[in-house]
Amino acid sequence: MDFELPEEYRMLQETVRRFVRQELIPLETTVLERDTQGMTGEDLVPPEAEERLLAVAQEAGLWGLDVPEEFGGLNLGALPKCLATEELYKTITPFTFPPDAPNLHMLMQTCTPEQREKYLLPYAQGKAHSAIAISEPGAGSDPAGMQTSAVKKGDQWVLNGRKIWISRAHIADFIIVMAVTEKGKGARGGITAFLVDKGTPGLVLQRQIPVIGGHAPWELVFEDLTLPDSQVLGEVGQGFAPMQLRLTVRRLEMGSWCVGLAQRCLDMMVEYAKQRVTFGQKLADRQAIQWFIADSATDIHASRLMVHHGAWKFDQGDDVRQEASMLKVFATEMATRVADRAMQMHGGMGMSKEMPLEFIYRRLRPMRIFEGPTEIHRWVIARKLLRD
Amino acid sequence: MKVLVTVKRVPDPETTIRVKSDGSGIETDNIKYVINPFDEIALEEALRIKEKLGAGEVVLVSIGDSVVTEQLRTGLAMGADRAILVGCDQDLDSLAVARILAKIVEDEGPQLVLMGKQAIDDDANQAGQMLAALLGWPQATFASEVVLSDDQQAVKVTREVDGGLETIGFALPGIITSDLRLNEPRYASLPGIMKARKKEIKEVAAADLDADMSPRLTINSLEPPTQKEAGKKVETVEELIGLLHDEAKVI
Repeated sequence: MDFELPEEYRMLQETVRRFVRQELIPLETTVLERDTQGMTGEDLVPPEAEERLLAVAQEAGLWGLDVPEEFGGLNLGALPKCLATEELYKTITPFTFPPDAPNLHMLMQTCTPEQREKYLLPYAQGKAHSAIAISEPGAGSDPAGMQTSAVKKGDQWVLNGRKIWISRAHIADFIIVMAVTEKGKGARGGITAFLVDKGTPGLVLQRQIPVIGGHAPWELVFEDLTLPDSQVLGEVGQGFAPMQLRLTVRRLEMGSWCVGLAQRCLDMMVEYAKQRVTFGQKLADRQAIQWFIADSATDIHASRLMVHHGAWKFDQGDDVRQEASMLKVFATEMATRVADRAMQMHGGMGMSKEMPLEFIYRRLRPMRIFEGPTEIHRWVIARKLLRD
Repeated sequence: MKVLVTVKRVPDPETTIRVKSDGSGIETDNIKYVINPFDEIALEEALRIKEKLGAGEVVLVSIGDSVVTEQLRTGLAMGADRAILVGCDQDLDSLAVARILAKIVEDEGPQLVLMGKQAIDDDANQAGQMLAALLGWPQATFASEVVLSDDQQAVKVTREVDGGLETIGFALPGIITSDLRLNEPRYASLPGIMKARKKEIKEVAAADLDADMSPRLTINSLEPPTQKEAGKKVETVEELIGLLHDEAKVI
């Protein structure tokens, strides 16, 4: 058993670390100012800065980390992707190495040769943005409650319904839409994925909903949105399993988000504890503060090992749904604890919108809700244990 | 054109350095190591020269035990073509380092040796100058700009000297040591990292080089810089002037 990361992974970490230190951290003040002004999502980073970041990232080859070589990527797998992601989340400046959203694995598993040319390649090369529409006002984690329907009429599919909490819908060149094609079958044969291009008649971007943590997802409406057969992604009725795969990869990455953000909090705690003096004593000398720091370091270490293990196992081609659920529960709660301690020990500075902690605290909260709320994951974990 | 670049493994400048309680050295547990930042600048310059010419070879050389391959591998990931590791586990002073490097230069026959002006660990700032003397080559230290002549036979180097800049020229082969403002080193790119795996790191034993490595310098003790005292707040300008005069004795 070898816990040492391979040399090239460590070099990758180092390169990303430097990118974060030189390019992203200096933008934090700007991000905080724009956040305070009410901006969200992609607007938090000014467009000219985003352009520069993309150029620098491309120059450094930080592009398509887990994209297979045949699609112009580096085919590094989930573990190095997670290592890079942890580094990227040591700052509050939001930035993703393209491709933009975690639909890669779903598309790779399902695309036809034509769809591969039209969607997967431009997406994998970072030239096209994507979004995925799963949740509905009446159906989040429970796909059986899904109402959006796709009905076959001749050789066309007609979509009607409503989706909610769809991130980046306004900038997406295409949206993967999950719809019911056979009522009553639910996840087992009843749900199909469709590729919907930007500007397709019947696709309505109803409204943007600002939420906690600097996000503003969309509500979408489909009004007799008509698609040819060629827009079906994967097999009819079999949209659920590829979507699950996508969510699994995302949950591993979310573990890295939490580890990165928590590590940043811990770094801030350690630095501040050594500086701040109250009643003639440094915070570092007070046991209450030492416990904050010790517990946080322990929490982070445990989560990081879970990320490394889950990603490694995924790269071996194994099923990691259980590990991904455990990580989703543990890492999001872990980072919440750490950020809370960091805020507490920073006192007024912790509350200030001029410091990253307040932003981190808000950013972490929805992570216990999206990509499957904590309670659902606990239920999934227990159900598997009790069934086996 | 073949350019030889020297690489020293040094503690990360962002690491907190602690001196051992007996003053015999620094505590090396849990220290992160990097390529000496000035060497990184030298490597960047070598890569730029190669890219500008569209041909040539950039060869790295380092001295130390096997852990140094980590820094050599990073240099290869930045774009160097191959590397030489001179295996040696004893502490070397600048002259011994220069003597080993002279043997490597004789063996490799580069037209140009690019080095950091100094390593950030011992700040000796001697190896480049000593190597030039041993080889009988011209040298330009503290370079802030390097311009290669069109026929690639000479260089013009701008040096950062006290009170300004000095521009000198010499015919190659020669030695240039880099100052901070020469360039901004690139990232080890991800494709570069993947390629570096396959690049050669040739190991030679220092003992086989027939270089005089006998120490001429011994470190008696190390001590950390004295802690800065906390600042003082003063109420009035008069008080400030008084303290600057009487206590700090600067006016």
